[in-house]
Amino acid sequence: MKSIFKVTLFFLLIFSCEDVINLDLKNSEPRLVIDASINWEKGTDGKFQTIKLSLTAPYFDTEIPPATGAIVTVTDLKNNAFSFVEEGNSGIYNNDSFIPEIGETYYLYVTYNNELYTATETLMPVVPIESVEQKNDGGFSGNEIELKAFYTDPKDIENFYLFEFDIVKFESTFFEVYEDKFTDGNRIFAFYSNEDIALDDEIKITNYGISKRAYEYYNILLQQTDENSGDPFETQPATLRGNCINQTNPDNFPLGYFKISETDVFTYLIE
Amino acid sequence: MCLLLALCFYNTLSSQEKYTISGTISEEKSNETLIGVNIIFPEIQSGTTTNEYGFYSITLPEGSYRVIVSFLGFNSISETITLSQDITKNFSLTDALENLDEVIIVENIEKPNIKAPQMSVNKLTSNTIKDIPVVLGESDIIKAISLLPGVTTAGEGASGFNVRGGAADQNLILLDEATIYNSSHLFGFFSVFNPDAIKDLRLFKGGIPARYGGRVSSVLDIYQKEGNSREFHANGGIGLVSSRLLAEGPLKKDQGSFLFGGRSSYAHLFLPLFDIDNVAYFYDLNTKLSYKLNDRNNIYLSGYFGRDVFSIQDTFENTYGNSVLNFRWNHLFSDKLFSNLSFIYSDYYYSLRLNFVQFDWVSGIQNFNLKYDFKHYISNKLKLQYGLNSIYYKFNPGEINPTVSTSGINPFKLTNKYAFENALYLDAEHKLSEKLNLSYGLRLSGFHRLGQDELNIYENDEAVVFNEGFQIYEKAEPIGTESLKRSDVIESFYNLEPRASLAYQLNTDSSIKLSYNRMSQYLHLLSNTNSPTPLDIWTPSGKYVKPQLLDQYALGYFKNFNDNLYSLELESFYKKVKNRIDYIDGADLIANNSIEQIILNGRARAYGLELLLRKNEGKLNGWLAYTFSKSEQQTPGRTPSEQGINNGNWYKTPHDKTHDISMTGSYQWNSKWKINANFLYQTGQPATFPTAQYEYNGLNIPHYEGRNENRLPSYNRLDLALNYTPKPKKTKGWQSYWVFSIYNVYNRKNAASISFGQNEKTGFNEATRLSIFGIVPSISYNFKL
Repeated sequence: MKSIFKVTLFFLLIFSCEDVINLDLKNSEPRLVIDASINWEKGTDGKFQTIKLSLTAPYFDTEIPPATGAIVTVTDLKNNAFSFVEEGNSGIYNNDSFIPEIGETYYLYVTYNNELYTATETLMPVVPIESVEQKNDGGFSGNEIELKAFYTDPKDIENFYLFEFDIVKFESTFFEVYEDKFTDGNRIFAFYSNEDIALDDEIKITNYGISKRAYEYYNILLQQTDENSGDPFETQPATLRGNCINQTNPDNFPLGYFKISETDVFTYLIE
Repeated sequence: MCLLLALCFYNTLSSQEKYTISGTISEEKSNETLIGVNIIFPEIQSGTTTNEYGFYSITLPEGSYRVIVSFLGFNSISETITLSQDITKNFSLTDALENLDEVIIVENIEKPNIKAPQMSVNKLTSNTIKDIPVVLGESDIIKAISLLPGVTTAGEGASGFNVRGGAADQNLILLDEATIYNSSHLFGFFSVFNPDAIKDLRLFKGGIPARYGGRVSSVLDIYQKEGNSREFHANGGIGLVSSRLLAEGPLKKDQGSFLFGGRSSYAHLFLPLFDIDNVAYFYDLNTKLSYKLNDRNNIYLSGYFGRDVFSIQDTFENTYGNSVLNFRWNHLFSDKLFSNLSFIYSDYYYSLRLNFVQFDWVSGIQNFNLKYDFKHYISNKLKLQYGLNSIYYKFNPGEINPTVSTSGINPFKLTNKYAFENALYLDAEHKLSEKLNLSYGLRLSGFHRLGQDELNIYENDEAVVFNEGFQIYEKAEPIGTESLKRSDVIESFYNLEPRASLAYQLNTDSSIKLSYNRMSQYLHLLSNTNSPTPLDIWTPSGKYVKPQLLDQYALGYFKNFNDNLYSLELESFYKKVKNRIDYIDGADLIANNSIEQIILNGRARAYGLELLLRKNEGKLNGWLAYTFSKSEQQTPGRTPSEQGINNGNWYKTPHDKTHDISMTGSYQWNSKWKINANFLYQTGQPATFPTAQYEYNGLNIPHYEGRNENRLPSYNRLDLALNYTPKPKKTKGWQSYWVFSIYNVYNRKNAASISFGQNEKTGFNEATRLSIFGIVPSISYNFKL
């Protein structure tokens, strides 16, 4: 549905011009950012998992500081505890003995600067990507390559999907979220179009099963990172709160999200 | 009320030797009735003006009087009348321009009437609107009123307008008494009103009379021409973007007339850069049939139909617009009691076909409106207006259908909603003394949300819940649904809306005015963008959404000086609105069948100072308007543990513009050339800029804290237009003029928005300004015959 906004913007752009300007922005205090995405790809054991911790930085800074020296643990309801160990001072924390299980509830504990952050999430299953269709004269300009990644939504269950289109050549990723409100039980597709991709380009398409709360989080997140953010048709930007809570000092809330998904990967070569 | 009745009674008793003179005032050539004509009896300092249908009535003691009938651009009539019985006297005014070799603007009707208690009102005639230079040379009502004090727009490419810090959905827009739901074509580049078909418009910003209701911010009351009942005439214009044609003439001489107007933009014009099969255009049609049955009865049938159409290849097709059909009957019960009965049907239709995702979407609002209005000219000291209004609404919030049989989309219908709105009102205009004029009134409004299918029920009636752990608002899960019969009432609201204004004349040239009005609004436009889009839908008040209630106070000083050459209007206002809806963070308004789950009731307030200095007459005329104002909104938590929206703090509304300066002027160089100019300066629109960045899932994400704490750079521009009339003395047959105009003369890149993202090459964050119109020259050719 967001495409409607893009179309209206498209009409405006015919008259309009864009230029980069200098702007002084107010900086807020640094906050902890928890990038905890645990992914279990179908057909793998899912043992190796990574969690990234970093801090917020002034908007025009060119580097993002890592959050180092934290203690990171994930537990499940079966009393398994998985310790994530930092690679040097990188803010990247790894575990190589994780046990994923569909429907299991997992708890995240992060201790950073003497403050305890926690989060809970359920490992959501996902259906496979069945096929990909390509159309070469798509988009509003008629020269974009459109991809449709088809999957079948399980009937009578509320499902939420996060799709990632990874253009290997550009090292760029594109995310989109879907719900099944209007498509329950149907064979339906995730949609991607780009005018810069060409023959033989490799596109890695990932479908993540996510919870309703994660869907809502990503929905806002993607709106706020949309290239068109701040355009006249965009919704008001707001502080984006994830599912992580600072138990020690609630006002110093963290950003980011603890997501745990089953995933299905489909590698497609542009024809 | 008792007092009022007693007053009427008193007046009748004491008027034994009083007689009424009444009638209709029209233009000589076309027999078109004229609104707001002054009928003045100078010897006894009495007078009145014609109403929306050209009717006047005044009751005076027996005697012989001189009467002066005057109106802008027309020759005044002065004659002596002997009043020894009730008489009917119709006047025809002749166009002042016709008998004069040189063009002289005689008197400007738009200047304020310092005696009348009505304040915060601006009148514009179709000629003033046509003089104002606008982008792409298309004269436009909304652009014209945005030059008035207290009126702003969200900028280029934004629909609607904002009055005194109010939102765009808080304006009542009436075209021949019918409500218009979306006033814009092409996303705000043009308004839906064809300036050729317009006779008169008034914008009420405060002190709004009790005969208007249903919106809390302003009333834009527009009347269309009836059409020439003497001779056939046509006029039109050819511009770069659109062309228009209007034809009018008699159905039966002096008794009936027709008017047909049409306007259309050119298809493909907007997409010349792309060699593909795209269409973008709008059109609208205005029709009016008028018939005078006899001296006491007139009937009118008017219609409006407008559509915007966009389509891109076969991927996308978007159509939307208003339709209005209106039947009115004017009846004179007596020479003191004028009535108008209106039956109005109006609808707003929106459709979108998205072939690339294989579904279409249709939404809309329909309503049937009955209005019965009376104007009762009791004496020259007291005039009453009373009436009733009933509106039945049907809302279609949306319906989704697959476009192909293989589509993965299931058909889905959002639940229709129904409502019934009623009002009774009484307005009195009361001349207490030579110096003191009062107007006071009361409106009783009622709103009934009628039964519908699948009404959600929530625990504690709370459709939005606060998650204390995450400190966010979330949708509540309904605990059940109920289906109610259409005849059931889900929720009823009643509001008493008092209105009062007072004018005290300090001396012959100046006065002070005070006003108060309370108003209620039962419909809400769901929009969480900075300005409305055609896709936004209206929703009625009900179980979970409360009606908006406004209190507004205004104080003003009015002065005419240098023999009415100049006029000054200085006003200050304060207003507050209860139950202004606000949206939880990340609210999804599109295709949402349970919008109550994303809405919280907040409040809004605005205050400001407005100045309007006008030069009314002469070769150079125009105005300078300055507004200083503040407009804020707050949605506190419902309980102490909730944080509210924006932490419960007051924040600037998107239409908060601290300073707003507009100047417009026209100079009649000679009979052939006329120069028009406007200049605008506005404080930049409030916006939310990021206060930090972070990385998540490999994406760079801006972090936002308070809402609307930043502003876009200030908006300013200068426009110029040159009107050239090759044969100014020609008054018969083909007459024409050219308009050459330049919009944004010094090519300022006014920011419509600032967006934040990564540079494609470096990957570093940057701020990008989007500006819509640079300098735009245009030309149009206009004719009449």
